Amino acid sequence: MLQQDETEERLRPLMIRSLEGDSGAHRQLLGILGRYLRGYFGRRIGSSSAEVEDLVQETLLAVHLKRDSYDRSLPFTPWAYALARYKLIDCLRRRHRSIQIPLEDAGALFAAEDAEEGAVRNDLERLLQRLPDRQRTLIEDVKLQGLSVEEAARKRGVTAVSARVMLHRSLKWLNQALRDENR
Amino acid sequence: MRTVDLIELLAGDARAIPRGVANRKLLAALIAGGLVTFALVALWLRCQPLLAAAHQPWFWMKAGYTGLLTIAGASLVRRLSTPGARLGAAPLAAALIVLAMLALGAGQIVATAPGARLALWLGQTWKVCSPLILLLAVPIYAFLIAALRALAPTRLTLTGAAAGFLAGALAATLYGLHCPEQAAAFAATWYTLGIAAATALGAISGRWLLRW
Repeated sequence: MLQQDETEERLRPLMIRSLEGDSGAHRQLLGILGRYLRGYFGRRIGSSSAEVEDLVQETLLAVHLKRDSYDRSLPFTPWAYALARYKLIDCLRRRHRSIQIPLEDAGALFAAEDAEEGAVRNDLERLLQRLPDRQRTLIEDVKLQGLSVEEAARKRGVTAVSARVMLHRSLKWLNQALRDENR
Repeated sequence: MRTVDLIELLAGDARAIPRGVANRKLLAALIAGGLVTFALVALWLRCQPLLAAAHQPWFWMKAGYTGLLTIAGASLVRRLSTPGARLGAAPLAAALIVLAMLALGAGQIVATAPGARLALWLGQTWKVCSPLILLLAVPIYAFLIAALRALAPTRLTLTGAAAGFLAGALAATLYGLHCPEQAAAFAATWYTLGIAAATALGAISGRWLLRW
């Protein structure tokens, strides 16, 4: 319990800063969450399963896109745990497997980190190829060349605002495509 | 794509999220759905003479009953749209409001002469009351579902039930603008039944409609 309080104290300020638009805090938060998610999903469906990393990515996308459902006056760890459990159940249901996932407290998610990235089955890379060229090249600039969105926008001759809109739309589309792939 | 690359992408999309955006989405849905239902009541069913009704205690008895249920339902839906949030006192409050209304209705029946009880209970419109409330709840429910899908409900059956309950309670409140029935026993039975039907339909359909 004490350990969970520490996790809460570490993560909630990061989430608040992320909600204020701080991309450094957002990156750090998602990095930490990713390691906990990998540990949690691994314990639930077997750490050797190729689905673990898929689920980690799908859940990180959901955390990112569903941030407006977080209430700043509430603790962060139960919010993250509920999202992770929903994604896990959703994944199992889509594969017609009925495994009971007990409703635990958030400590179930924040028990142990796992930094070792597994292989992915539904590669986002492959889904990216289905995006229109402009969106795909923008994503590749940001992802592979580590450019900021502003730099990538300048390079491709679009405004920073429209590059941001494009990136956000692409992420939403990827989120949907990843779900559909898993059906 | 490696997870670290994905995180890089997501960090690039780290926009500021305004405070209270979830509340505003749900409120907007409630208002939009409420306006559609209000239009149905005003243009199709027609309002009763409201100036006269507003001086009558029975009018406010019905409005108070369904209005309080609307508030409890809104609190429930708000909490269920936030992953991991507790339900709070709203379910207990809703149960107590319904129990109080049932007690009021039962008391009225007991205080009425046996020969007049059935007429008091059924009024003139008992056959259409519950079905109309259920029908009027549909537009509100539809808007609520759309708003909830954009948020992140994680307990879908329960969230669907809460959305149906809220839609039913608000629909019953607006139906009160039309409905000329005056007996507490009437509202306690037929209004409650309409709201219960909306809740049940919400629970059944929410499982499917709310998936995100």
